[in-house]
Amino acid sequence: MRRAPAALLRLLLGAVFLWAAAVKLPDMAGFAESVANYRVLPPGWVPLFAAALVGVELVAGAALVAGWWPRAAAAVVALLLLVFTAALSQALLRGIDLACGCFGGKESASWGTVGRDLALLALAIASLALGPGRLTAPRAGAAP
Amino acid sequence: MPKALEMAALVALGAAVGLGANALSPRPAPVRAKVYSVAEASGGACAGPEEAAAARAPRISVAEASALCQSCLAAFVDARSAGEFARGHVANAVHLPPSGHPDEGAALDELRSHPLVVVYDGDYSCAVADEVAARLRGAGLADVRVLSGAWPAWAAAGAPAAAGACGSCGHEEGHP
Repeated sequence: MRRAPAALLRLLLGAVFLWAAAVKLPDMAGFAESVANYRVLPPGWVPLFAAALVGVELVAGAALVAGWWPRAAAAVVALLLLVFTAALSQALLRGIDLACGCFGGKESASWGTVGRDLALLALAIASLALGPGRLTAPRAGAAP
Repeated sequence: MPKALEMAALVALGAAVGLGANALSPRPAPVRAKVYSVAEASGGACAGPEEAAAARAPRISVAEASALCQSCLAAFVDARSAGEFARGHVANAVHLPPSGHPDEGAALDELRSHPLVVVYDGDYSCAVADEVAARLRGAGLADVRVLSGAWPAWAAAGAPAAAGACGSCGHEEGHP
């Protein structure tokens, strides 16, 4: 019986991404500055990418929570986490001292941040493999 | 496996929602402008005009400071935290955060043996570096400057870091 754990995993991932997007919305300019400090994108692409990224986090998070296209949403989240992990790693390897911008605020990028993203990536892959699950109690008398 | 079309639809919808949310944000990202990293911005944020001139030490560019580092004509002071210093610093820099150095007297003697001292921190405002620079000037060091763009600019320029070469300055790496 893995429906409930699968559903809880999906809800947890969705909540994390909804939260990550929500805390960035009041200061999108600050988030764009965080994205620029990774020094990966041309400066002209940074604000558009930053705005779009927050929206993708928001929609993928909402889709996971609501159970809309849950496997596709889990796959999008996994791809986002791969991109985040690569961006953080290249910045750290280049010695760039920056705020990660992960959940807004001034949290510094570190290998701990990379580890957190890898853990979330593992959860996203598990959610992809387990499917959406269901949070309903088994019917009385139903076979386990 | 998820359908690629569903994933593409989620990404497209997300991008549209993000652009709409950005327009409604109290502090939107300037989508029609270029956004530069602080290290790439001209002069670095340490040169911000809003800072009171009296509180600021004179600035020195990464290019000029790097040349002085190579020729051992400047001492470098890292005003960041111990953890940041451990992760990487200007070659031969003395770690001297605002809280002080375990052997402050020896550190100051080491710095006095150079004609110029360059202080840097990791924050784009350079407020911590300014604080340490003011303390060093108060201790009698004549020429103390703050690195424009701070550590991010130094690292971005590929200037000598702890693992790199900085000439043979004749003293032990990291501490006097």
